[in-house]
Amino acid sequence: MLPGPVIETERLVLRPPQAVDFDRYAELLADAHACRFIGGSAGRAAAWRKFLQMPGAWAVQGFAMFSVIEKASGLWVGQTGPWRPEGWPGNEVGWSFHPQAWGRGYATEAASAAIDWAFAELGWEDVIHCIDPENRPSQRVAERLGSRNLGPVQLPEPFDQSRIEAWGQSRAQWQGRRRPVPATSA
Amino acid sequence: MDLDRLQLETPRLLLRLPRQEDFEAWAAFAADEEATRHIGGVQQRGAAWRGLAAMRGAWHLRGFSMFSVIEKASGRWVGRVGPFQAEAWPGTEVGWSIVRACWGRGYATEAASACMDWVFGVLGWERAIHTISPPNAASKAVAARLGSAYLELGRLPEPYYQTPVEIWGQTRGQWLARRGASA
Repeated sequence: MLPGPVIETERLVLRPPQAVDFDRYAELLADAHACRFIGGSAGRAAAWRKFLQMPGAWAVQGFAMFSVIEKASGLWVGQTGPWRPEGWPGNEVGWSFHPQAWGRGYATEAASAAIDWAFAELGWEDVIHCIDPENRPSQRVAERLGSRNLGPVQLPEPFDQSRIEAWGQSRAQWQGRRRPVPATSA
Repeated sequence: MDLDRLQLETPRLLLRLPRQEDFEAWAAFAADEEATRHIGGVQQRGAAWRGLAAMRGAWHLRGFSMFSVIEKASGRWVGRVGPFQAEAWPGTEVGWSIVRACWGRGYATEAASACMDWVFGVLGWERAIHTISPPNAASKAVAARLGSAYLELGRLPEPYYQTPVEIWGQTRGQWLARRGASA
């Protein structure tokens, strides 16, 4: 298992990826509709190779997306967190969620905690989210986080043919809108 | 097992987990058309980095994966060798890739030999296979030097290999008998 930070929000736990997460990740990757904005669906063997990139990035870079666990069920519901592979256009905090977990505000809740962590621990001066122009749900998450559309960006392969926009904000903007977390919330 | 300190040593090589510092040499290997001819073809930097990350990630999720191979004399990254078993893989593999500048020195055999000792001795594998593209004579020669034999024709899972591969290999018993005889 990878050692790493564990973050709790009101309904979620964010922790580095583990092998036990893979079956639910593979379900997400098998769902063509759910994956239409994140590279398309993939079979189990290809999903495994993709899944490995996250713990690998944690180990070689010291950060990557967290697995997101729903406290109430114990189920893996998605990935959220810092993501900056080779050739990436900036410091991304991204998110992708299992379709069964959509519509509950989990992406906003998890990404909010991940952005706090990225600014505190990684020293980033800004944050972006790479979003397909037709991905309205993710655009709404970005808006709720206080990010705005910064315009088109070029991703490296295998996404170099995709039209992608960067949404984002500066560290100062993020800290300006955040209030200190009250002591009573876990 | 403290993975960050795990290291195998041979007369000329050090084998340790892949790291970010390996990336430039890893990417140069990935861009080398001749070196990658039989292992899926060239990759650009973005895909090469994801490959390095995935190779390292497998260490943490499976407990084993390929090692980065460092040439002791120069400190250079000269390849990746070791245990490999992706999802739906045809078996427990010991594989090898050495940079073209170091071909012909016996590095693949030397590194793979240390890995064969490790997979049988530490991981407790019963069998080690090597999946080799049919035209790849150089890798078949390495497999033969390890004492492995051609077993059968096989197929790799998606995402990128759809052509048949030759499966070479040997059992733990065969390897240990061979090592015992030469000790």
